[in-house]
Amino acid sequence: MIARVAGTEPSGAAKVPVEDRLFSLVLALVATETGLLKSEILSTVRGYAERYDASGSNANLERQFERDKDEIRDLGIPLETVESPDRPGDNQSLRYRIPKGQYELPEAVRFSPDELALLGLAAEVWREASVSADSQRALTKLRSLGIEPRDPVIGYAPRLRVRDAAFEPLRQALDRRQTVRFRYFKPGEREPRVRTVDPLAVVLHEGRWHLHARDRDVDEPRTFLLSRIVGEVQPVAGSTFDAPPPGIQDRVIAELDALRLSNVADLAVTAGSDAEVRLGKRAVDGDEDAGVIRLHYTDEAVLADELAAYGPEVRVLGPASLRQAVRDRLRLVADAHRGRSER
Amino acid sequence: MNESRRKPLKASDKLVFLLSLVPYLLEQQVVDVPDAAAHFGVTDDEIRDAVRLIATSGLPGATGTYQPNDLFDIDWDAFEDDDVIVIVHHVAIDDAPRLSAREAAALIAGLQYLSALPENAGSASLGALMQKLTAGASAAPTRLAVAESESDASLAAIRAAVADGRQLEFDYRNAVGVAGRRRVDPLRILSQDADWYLQAYCHTREDVRNFRVDRMSDLVVSDLPIGEHAETVVPDTLFQGSDSDFDVVVDALPEALPLLADYLADSKSEEVDGRLRVTLRLAHVHGLKRLVAGLPGLVTVVSPAEARAAVAGWATAGLAGYADDEASGH
Repeated sequence: MIARVAGTEPSGAAKVPVEDRLFSLVLALVATETGLLKSEILSTVRGYAERYDASGSNANLERQFERDKDEIRDLGIPLETVESPDRPGDNQSLRYRIPKGQYELPEAVRFSPDELALLGLAAEVWREASVSADSQRALTKLRSLGIEPRDPVIGYAPRLRVRDAAFEPLRQALDRRQTVRFRYFKPGEREPRVRTVDPLAVVLHEGRWHLHARDRDVDEPRTFLLSRIVGEVQPVAGSTFDAPPPGIQDRVIAELDALRLSNVADLAVTAGSDAEVRLGKRAVDGDEDAGVIRLHYTDEAVLADELAAYGPEVRVLGPASLRQAVRDRLRLVADAHRGRSER
Repeated sequence: MNESRRKPLKASDKLVFLLSLVPYLLEQQVVDVPDAAAHFGVTDDEIRDAVRLIATSGLPGATGTYQPNDLFDIDWDAFEDDDVIVIVHHVAIDDAPRLSAREAAALIAGLQYLSALPENAGSASLGALMQKLTAGASAAPTRLAVAESESDASLAAIRAAVADGRQLEFDYRNAVGVAGRRRVDPLRILSQDADWYLQAYCHTREDVRNFRVDRMSDLVVSDLPIGEHAETVVPDTLFQGSDSDFDVVVDALPEALPLLADYLADSKSEEVDGRLRVTLRLAHVHGLKRLVAGLPGLVTVVSPAEARAAVAGWATAGLAGYADDEASGH
């Protein structure tokens, strides 16, 4: 039997801070080998025990425990549930524990001062709040090893922004292997269409974020541009899927690279223009004197947007579809800005 | 459901800090509060608060009463009198925690982005480091990746000049379209997504300027050392305001707004026919016409009239290049 002690504290005792409760819970679950019953946790662990009612239902406290478990697991701490061999399926006899071997960083994973300096710079890259927070938490964990990083890499300020609203919900869906639904606006289609997909990988290629996913409606893998996802990414309740093969993200990048190499645009650029200098740096071939360059591209609509920005500095020679796409864009812009604003 | 529940991020960050501080203190055995604070990049008080919490934490024990032997303990005299931390008794944890799948993925993708840096190009150590992070995660890292991009060939030379403190010369065509030879003291390489910039003291302009690396040509690393720049302020942002900036009112589709974030003059917006009317601040109309033409259908200039005309003129001049197609009845 577990004695109920803390619950008898005088009312008005200072509330136990959340991190104190979580810390006490982790300590208790790491220390146990056989696991603790939920009733044991709620009645003894600091932060719960003060509010435990031995004769009541403790429904609030149980919900608190469920949320705390999720939060601890979100931090990468392997909180396990063990079924009682005698009473499978009985929720009240489930035991909880954190196996020490899976909690601790493996012995082989140690970092040199140089590596830590590089990791510090890698964490600095992220401007997007949630990824940045994840990176910083990882650094905090690695600091526990007590290695002082070599002086920060000077002369660099690398930054990666994420401007697609779909990024964070998709990253969560990847982690939870959660099916999601969103509206997708494919170039050439009249309006956005609803897609239901199992997200497998999210990759940045040629400056654009792509989602690789299994499209549930056609049961085929598809790659989507995050910038063309319209509105919210919604989880499909109760629908999850198996983990994709390891390294799938590298395969997706290789596929996008192959796609890029298979697309060839021929452009005429104005001598001495911004287009000549900047597009010229990406050229794979060309005749400088004739002002003609050739470059590869992944997505025709994306390149057409970029080329439209150069206005008269660049003219598409081919392919015809790209030529028309750029022309359509310039016409759209010219028409929208003709005359005085009607408003 | 997880969307609506805002996680008390602060508490989970504090938990990670506590779980990381314990093994650090055990490893160090004896450590001054300021040293621990510097190591973790927190304040002295944050270290002291955490140590007090750790020193009174532990296990409920067989009786569920948190008896002294089930608790952490520190040398309180050393702590209170000398600001020195010594853990004299510890329970449950003594080693660094693993990374979460998301944490490992964030660092791995950050490293992949850094592979564009000249000194990391094709680096095997970067790959080994990513493998270590994978091994140090409690689950397979989230499938997040950044494709290795070909870095501009100039970047290696610029990097060498920054590291050696030597001057650079190059031809540069600025955003307004004016070209010229520049001599600069390179100070810092800054990137934003796929774009690379050099922040340098320009001898011609006698001030710090940002140069797009892809607008440079005929780059030469000089033998001349750079000047003294200890007092020089290198701005943290790429887009700095100046007196000659001008404001433009545009209507933008809501999804285009993040693409305009660098140029927003203020946080005000007004809904007009399903579009958001916002004010942009730009250095020059040359920048505006490129920006708007590159977001076809997403952004329309409302005023001033000269700005509208400049965009219309730019697009129309571009269209002229396709006059043959137009004539043939497309």
